[in-house]
Amino acid sequence: MPGAPHTPRVYFTTLAVVPFVPGATLVTNILVVDDSATIRRMVRAALQPVAEAQFVEAETGLEAIERLAFAPVGLIVLDLNMPDMHGLEVLRFVRAHATYRGIPVLVLTTRGDDASRGAALAAGATAYLTKPFAPAALAAEARRLLERGGVGAGR
Amino acid sequence: MPDAEREAGRFSDSFLDDYFAECDEHLRAMRAALLKLETALRDGRLDPGALEQIFRGCHSIKGLSGMVELTEAETLAHELESYLRALRDAELGLVPAGVDTLVDGVMELERVIVARRDRLPVPPSAALIARVRALTAGGASAPAGARTAAAVTSGGQRWQATYVPTPALLERGVNVNTVRERLQELGTIVSAMPDVRAGGGLAFTFVVETAAPPALAEWERDGITWMRLGEAERAPAAAEAAPAAAATAAHFVRVDLARLDDLMRIIGDLVIDRARLAESLARVEPHVPANEWQAVHEHRSSLDRHVRDLRHGVMRVRLIPVGDVFDRMVFVVRDLAREYGKQVRLELHGKATEIDKFLIERMMEPVLHLVRNAIAHGLEGPEARQRAGKPREGTITLRASTVGDTALIDVEDDGQGVDAAAVTARARAAGVPVPDGPLDAGALLDLICAPGLSTRETPDRGSGRGVGMAAVRAAVQEVGGTLSLETDPRRGTRFTLELPVTLAITDAIIATVGDRTFAVPQNSVSEVIEVEPAAVRQLENNEIIPYRQGTLPLVRLSRVFGVAAAPRPRLHVFVTGRGAGAVGVAVDRIVGQKEIVVRTFGDRFIKVHGVAGATELGDGRVVLILDVGALVRSGEARGVR
Repeated sequence: MPGAPHTPRVYFTTLAVVPFVPGATLVTNILVVDDSATIRRMVRAALQPVAEAQFVEAETGLEAIERLAFAPVGLIVLDLNMPDMHGLEVLRFVRAHATYRGIPVLVLTTRGDDASRGAALAAGATAYLTKPFAPAALAAEARRLLERGGVGAGR
Repeated sequence: MPDAEREAGRFSDSFLDDYFAECDEHLRAMRAALLKLETALRDGRLDPGALEQIFRGCHSIKGLSGMVELTEAETLAHELESYLRALRDAELGLVPAGVDTLVDGVMELERVIVARRDRLPVPPSAALIARVRALTAGGASAPAGARTAAAVTSGGQRWQATYVPTPALLERGVNVNTVRERLQELGTIVSAMPDVRAGGGLAFTFVVETAAPPALAEWERDGITWMRLGEAERAPAAAEAAPAAAATAAHFVRVDLARLDDLMRIIGDLVIDRARLAESLARVEPHVPANEWQAVHEHRSSLDRHVRDLRHGVMRVRLIPVGDVFDRMVFVVRDLAREYGKQVRLELHGKATEIDKFLIERMMEPVLHLVRNAIAHGLEGPEARQRAGKPREGTITLRASTVGDTALIDVEDDGQGVDAAAVTARARAAGVPVPDGPLDAGALLDLICAPGLSTRETPDRGSGRGVGMAAVRAAVQEVGGTLSLETDPRRGTRFTLELPVTLAITDAIIATVGDRTFAVPQNSVSEVIEVEPAAVRQLENNEIIPYRQGTLPLVRLSRVFGVAAAPRPRLHVFVTGRGAGAVGVAVDRIVGQKEIVVRTFGDRFIKVHGVAGATELGDGRVVLILDVGALVRSGEARGVR
């Protein structure tokens, strides 16, 4: 059905050039991937205290990959169970491509699926937390990953 | 750590509104999918798309409920999810009892969430959870039922669509989600893969099965190129093929109704300011040179137009399709039909009709009650229907439509009609005054809606008509609407709710009687006519006028409010009400048409029969807004037909 009306959406398209100054606070984009808008808001609220973070959101796995291509991302907070592309697929894609390989990925998935922890870590997740999450714990984990990623990106 | 826990509690509290809104979306999608699942199962099929949709909904609600610490919903959603996963992975077959449990489970989930929203005690779900668990555990011993088929092919051609995103496209609002949605409308997406190309750029490759070949040029503009896949390339259907996802709400924003109310209030003030400005301008007009006045006049007209557009724009934001309420009825009907041992088919018409969200919410209960009544009292049992020469299955029809600024909702059944004799007998027994002679539909409705009247000797759970119908009518009248009834022992019963599409601001006809001025909401007026005083005929204590080959009962506003009417050569009469309920209301003069801001009286002590509220005209005068429905009823009460 050609000519579908496209409601303009606001996208983060400016490429924030981050000069590498050792020891300085990094202005970082955090990519929040979850099909639930409420969870995305909660994650943003929880990570607000993480210094100088800006947020990029994606509601599907495909969209997450598209966002990666257009904004430098310092951390991905990734849900696993999403329609159209599983979080594990996103993770494998990220780890399979040199451009994105060094980005820390914090998998944040709904509890109760015990097999997914092993699968996520095997696919290259840097950290694994379950929902419901404690905001402070998520912030602490994110800060840890950002600091690590900022000093020497890559694995 | 108690501090952290307290902090977490506060944290999730600020997301409760989002939580309820998102759960609402999921529940709506799940209800629709359940219907599909049930329909397909009747043909012995398992609809994998519908199953996936319900599974996704449960999964999301589970995750969200955990975040807001609504453990009951989390647990219930988790149990449903486990059962659905087993169905999805074809470990279990779907049996009719399974669908029933899923339906009950989704309704229970909704009850739990609504209870939390309304700060009521959360209902216990232990029995239901046990049912779901029994189904999930019964896998090995119950090989029967429909299972997911391995692959479903639509038999169309396979095409490969490659989408290369660019910043320019993103700026135009084209992104991989919108592309995927467009592809879904075209056909079935078999697989979707991201790929980094040789130059470092990103591309997405979709394999789409479609009967209609795409119009290539239309897509190229948005960065999508097509390639027809030959037979050889058809094989690798990716294992992680994307099932048709839910219609994403990507293009919608949620708005707190209170914010829209604020906007509406501001627009209301704007409308009054504009009216005041018009008054002031009218006063200075004689002092302004004509050539200057032309510009003033044009600006004022343009301002009028924009204020009106603004008002319509905000009102449209408040409108939501009535289909959501209707879809809920499907489950109610299903349950009640079983409870009363009746066979019922539900027909829904006009689901796309849009009505103010506030109104829809207020009408939910009344409509529900009318549907219950129709099943409990209106429809006969299958045997009785057969004896009466009707199909064993009764039909209930819900119909929504809009006429101008009025929304109509019909609740109709093809049952045995309202038993006037039984209603009359009950009314006499309950001490409700009954008019003499044969009852018309209006009088019958008055009796049915009389407080304390029930046509049933024993009140039943599904519908106690006594309090119920009185409450239904009160709810309809409270929003400025009217309730009407048509009933026939052979054809059935139809209740019609006639509602103003919006409440706050409306177009009105300004009329005078003696030295008083009244506003009449235009949506309640179907016609304005002029009548020679000589044409008014006396019929016993009442007056009628000729109207379109027939006659129309006449209500003189001067008499209703005890105002001395100014003698006029002609009466201005506005016609209100519909069909047999139409009444002509006579005023001295109709002086114009105005946009008015309705202010209802909050104080119940100043509730005056026939007055719906007040409004301020631009000159500072406060005038009363007529409650035309009440006037019509007073016309009926006097038996003028």
